[in-house]
Amino acid sequence: MSDAKAGRSGPTTSTYALIPKPANLQCMDLQEYLRTRTAETLEKLYNYPTICLAVYRELPEIARQFVIRILFVEQPVPQAVVASWGSQHYAKEQAASTACLTELNVWRVTAIPGGLSAWELCPTFKKNLKIALLGGGKPWSMSHTLEKDSKPRDIAFLDTYAMARWRCVLHYMVGTGSSNKAQDSEGISPDAVRILLHANLMKRDERDGITITRQGFQFLLLDTQSQVWHFMLQYLDTCEERGLSLPDCLSMLFQLSFSTLGRDYSSEGMSPKMLTFLQHLREFGLVFQRKRKEGRFYPTRLALNVTNKHAAVPAVIAEDDKAQESGYIVVETNYRVYAYTDSPLQVAVLGLFTELLYRFPNLVVGVLTRDSVRQALRGGITADQIVSYLEQYSHPNMKLTESAIKSKSPLPPTVVDQIKLWELERNRFTYTEGVVYNQFLSQADFVTLRDYAQSINVLVHMNERTRTMVVTKNGHDDVKRFWKRYSKSGG
Amino acid sequence: MGPPKKSKKDRFTGDKFGKKRRAEDEAFTQLVEDGDSMPSDGVTELDGVPVAASKNVETNDDGIMTDEYGAKDYRAQMELKPDHTNRPLWVAPNGHVFLESFSPVYKHAHDFLIAISEPVCRPEHIHEYKLTAYSLYAAVSVGLQTHDIIEYLKRLSKTSIPEGIIEFIKLCTLSYGKVKLVLKHNRYFIESPHPDILQKLLKDPVIQQCRLKREEGEGFIQGTLEGKAITQFGTKLPPGETAATTSATDNDPNAATAAGTAATTNPDGTPAVPEDITNFYDKIDNEEEDEDEANLKTVSFEVNQEKIEVIQKRCIEIEHPLLAEYDFRNDTHNPDINIDLKPAAVLRPYQEKSLRKMFGNGRARSGVIVLPCGAGKSLVGVTACCTVRKRALVLCNSGVSVEQWKQQFKMWSTADDSMICRFTSEAKDKPMGCGILVTTYSMITHTQKRSWEAEQTMRWLQEQEWGIMVLDEVHTIPAKMFRRVLTIVQSHCKLGLTATLLREDDKIADLNFLIGPKLYEANWLELQKKGYIARVQCAEVWCPMSPEFYREYLTTKTSKKMLLYVMNPSKFRSCQFLIKYHEKRGDKTIVFSDNVFALKHYAIKMNKPFIYGPTSQNERIQILQNFKFNQKVNTIFVSKVADTSFDLPEANVLIQISSHGGSRRQEAQRLGRILRAKKGAIAEEYNAFFYTLVSQDTMEMSYSRKRQRFLVNQGYSYKVITHLSGMDTDPDLMYKTREEQSQLLQQVLSASDLDCEDEKVPGEPGYRPSGGAASKRAGGLSSMSGGDDAIYYEQRRRNAGSVHPLFKKFRG
Repeated sequence: MSDAKAGRSGPTTSTYALIPKPANLQCMDLQEYLRTRTAETLEKLYNYPTICLAVYRELPEIARQFVIRILFVEQPVPQAVVASWGSQHYAKEQAASTACLTELNVWRVTAIPGGLSAWELCPTFKKNLKIALLGGGKPWSMSHTLEKDSKPRDIAFLDTYAMARWRCVLHYMVGTGSSNKAQDSEGISPDAVRILLHANLMKRDERDGITITRQGFQFLLLDTQSQVWHFMLQYLDTCEERGLSLPDCLSMLFQLSFSTLGRDYSSEGMSPKMLTFLQHLREFGLVFQRKRKEGRFYPTRLALNVTNKHAAVPAVIAEDDKAQESGYIVVETNYRVYAYTDSPLQVAVLGLFTELLYRFPNLVVGVLTRDSVRQALRGGITADQIVSYLEQYSHPNMKLTESAIKSKSPLPPTVVDQIKLWELERNRFTYTEGVVYNQFLSQADFVTLRDYAQSINVLVHMNERTRTMVVTKNGHDDVKRFWKRYSKSGG
Repeated sequence: MGPPKKSKKDRFTGDKFGKKRRAEDEAFTQLVEDGDSMPSDGVTELDGVPVAASKNVETNDDGIMTDEYGAKDYRAQMELKPDHTNRPLWVAPNGHVFLESFSPVYKHAHDFLIAISEPVCRPEHIHEYKLTAYSLYAAVSVGLQTHDIIEYLKRLSKTSIPEGIIEFIKLCTLSYGKVKLVLKHNRYFIESPHPDILQKLLKDPVIQQCRLKREEGEGFIQGTLEGKAITQFGTKLPPGETAATTSATDNDPNAATAAGTAATTNPDGTPAVPEDITNFYDKIDNEEEDEDEANLKTVSFEVNQEKIEVIQKRCIEIEHPLLAEYDFRNDTHNPDINIDLKPAAVLRPYQEKSLRKMFGNGRARSGVIVLPCGAGKSLVGVTACCTVRKRALVLCNSGVSVEQWKQQFKMWSTADDSMICRFTSEAKDKPMGCGILVTTYSMITHTQKRSWEAEQTMRWLQEQEWGIMVLDEVHTIPAKMFRRVLTIVQSHCKLGLTATLLREDDKIADLNFLIGPKLYEANWLELQKKGYIARVQCAEVWCPMSPEFYREYLTTKTSKKMLLYVMNPSKFRSCQFLIKYHEKRGDKTIVFSDNVFALKHYAIKMNKPFIYGPTSQNERIQILQNFKFNQKVNTIFVSKVADTSFDLPEANVLIQISSHGGSRRQEAQRLGRILRAKKGAIAEEYNAFFYTLVSQDTMEMSYSRKRQRFLVNQGYSYKVITHLSGMDTDPDLMYKTREEQSQLLQQVLSASDLDCEDEKVPGEPGYRPSGGAASKRAGGLSSMSGGDDAIYYEQRRRNAGSVHPLFKKFRG
């Protein structure tokens, strides 16, 4: 009998190894980016009025209200006062805004006499935001006046230029840049390649040289604006290595984003380091400069939109690529995909989730199959990404169909549903936390305990042959108690 | 092309049953052959099909480079024209043609493509067609010239046309369609506008023998073909359209359609159309006028009537298949019958168009017309009979549809009871003196002893020279059976009607040479848009398998598996929920189940009437009448006997709980039951519903995907419903509790093997009237694709309790 006690089932807490999620592309917006910086870095960044302004612009609406209200208040404002500014209905939004401001180090908690806690804007931020809003301080580096450009560039030209440059980077990623040297005469610099490698968008393979990674493919599915932002973040990550200071670069980037499209600016007075940075921006198409040494540059739409989530200027639509950029994909109810394109880049992206059948000089015919979509899903691309890509580039004619007008999405609803179902298909498990009981000494013990667990409805799984059972976590205590009683009375 | 889902599972199940099916299929054809009068001199499948027809352009691009994504790269083979945006199509070296439906010249291009190629899929924006030997044969048979086909294709294409395609077109069209077999003044002539081809034919010794020479040294008979087309069927059309049709007076129906389209859309009004395309239209138009004045010169020689069979076969062998044409207006040998269309019968434009293809040059061509179910195939058939005005034979595949054809004739034409003779096991009208005989395929091909009365009718039938033979649901008849019909009945012209020219065994191509080329195929989506057929919302409802059922499903053998997923309680509940929902809306619902056990169980449990194999003809008609007129009977359950030809115009909801494997045809036929346009319905809204209930994670899923392929290619889209909202809260649904469900499971598990099978219909392999204890699972390829609806009631009843005669032979 004592043996029975010794051999009493040892409850082992089971651990379900979660299926490892493939490393996905982390695409941060400005806030998220800043949140991951240390307090010191933030402090440094807030020394630049432009950065403060950009941060301010990206804050949630309520947070902006708070900041502007206390900007000119020279003493800490009690938290209760701040809380009373908003209606209770929006407590949640208010809390989010408060948290956001704290995380970004825009304000901090201080104690005021009377034991109350109060909000106080971070002094650096306060000072520099005032400068940004009211003027003063050092003049912006690009504010030098210039004589009139003899051959001014118009917006259309700048758009074309910017997209052509940017596409060079993308082409390089899909491995077409190198083979089609003639087409993209310039290729991309080793610096850009380094950034791509650093960002894990591409990896160095012993066999194939540099190849695109899963994250890289996801990157291609993003819209241009997000691509540029993500790319710039990666650039900033590595800028210290190049001897550039992060705050300087970031501030410069923001200055560009506050500039006017189609206007030329002077690079006079910029430090040599900043001039290097400008050259890099030039390569990615964020600014246009006729010659390296020319003291004049034009920011492009890519630079203007870089931080602005809700870009007032719509996503980059280059006039020259007319249909191509605005929409070239036709998706049919029979899962056929027809893409009016011969761009290797677009074909490569399409090839990520469609099975391509035929290629004509200006058309690619493919079909969305379960296999092809699942392959994309396995690669870490989500159904939403596929759908939004197809939506974004759907052919103008698709938008004219009846169902498109009704449902706002130009894609056939069945196809959208199916892609999502294919994704859901991969997540059919429901997890229940539980405790395993095993190594029962006798069948009778097992049966008794099992019946008890069943009677109180906590049995998840049992196998009579191996004498194993699983009970829910909540039921574990009861079952354990029962077992103690049972084995005591038995012994 | 392919289904969106190309899973390994599909392939796996396919292989698993493939062997068995083939074996059964062979057994079946053997059966047919046993009772067949066909000589056993090695008749192969390809008999009666010219060699060029077996050429497959699909393999033309086997050697082609594939790009890094596995796609076939045609970029090197073709050049983009500078004005490509104004041209509507691409032609791939493997014969696939892609057409932009939003192009300004779409209408022209579409008419042209439908004439020369097979539609593969026609969804909303870009249609895919395929050039095949058969489609090109059909094109030349309606009068298109090789040169014109190539030239026009070149002009419509965005790119240059691959060399291989041009060669293929030449190969398939140069020798085809040049010679016609014409019955004129009761004599048979071989006629051709090309004297050199006739010379060539006459050099052949076999044909020489068949030639009938009235006097020694006679040359070719010179003649002209008067280009007088049948321009009007039945009632006059609205003036705008008649203008277009009357101008179509040419033996080239493409010109006719071109003229028609030219009249409606002014080419000058669309500046986006490149000039050479419009020029070409002008050219065709002009040609047509020229020919109007100077009719086409033809030469011909007479042939011996007894040797027609021989000469037809020989001509196919030497790659000049004869096109059968019937000059019915000059046929004085056979008396006219007094039948006309009623003034109320107005043809829809597509019906008119299809008939114009048939009577394009004032003669009747043989061929197949493909229209969706419910789009008025019967009216086309009736009109054709009224146009020919000779004795007509209508063949269909069940007793019920015989009745329905009679009704159709009475509704649309001036024919009355005395003129229409039914010849079925149930109803045998006096045939003498009637003008129209309606019967079933199995009545004609029956080889066993018949009643005296039937014997008399058969003899009469065989003696007649029929003017026109209308073959309803022509896809269902196996080629062998069809050959037998042709040897028994003599007819001048044959018109095949079907909704789905499609068989799982792909033998449909044989029909091209047995009946004639496909004359016309309608676009489902377009008819739907114009409101000629109902707008159907197709939905696939996913019913999760209850855990108990799924456990059994995983462990039991195949035959039970099927019963388990059909009887899945959540499927039952979904079905009940949908029925309730639609009854509340005042809809009429048909529920289909191939499995009889499920059919009975569902119907009895829900207290609804049901029809299946053993239901008598009287009872069937009674149930159908009640369904039509009784407000209280809104739902009926039917087995696959109702798949085709049950005309139920009232039904607008269809629920499918079990079906026959992956048969695309069955799916389309079933959809056809609810396609008839509903009165007063708004064309913009869905007015019919087609639900397929599928048990999740079972074989049904992959079957279902396979079945949908045809309709998806026609532009239909299936909505997947994973959850019916409101179903969980409905207290009236059955099988809610676990106890009820496990009772049901017990019932299913105790069901006999026989219950697990699909219903067997006589004529299908594996059919045993006595309900033999052990029989193999159904699923012969032939039964899925044809022959399964051939029922001969008389025979079945008489032999009740004994073994089917066909089987007796097979075993003996």
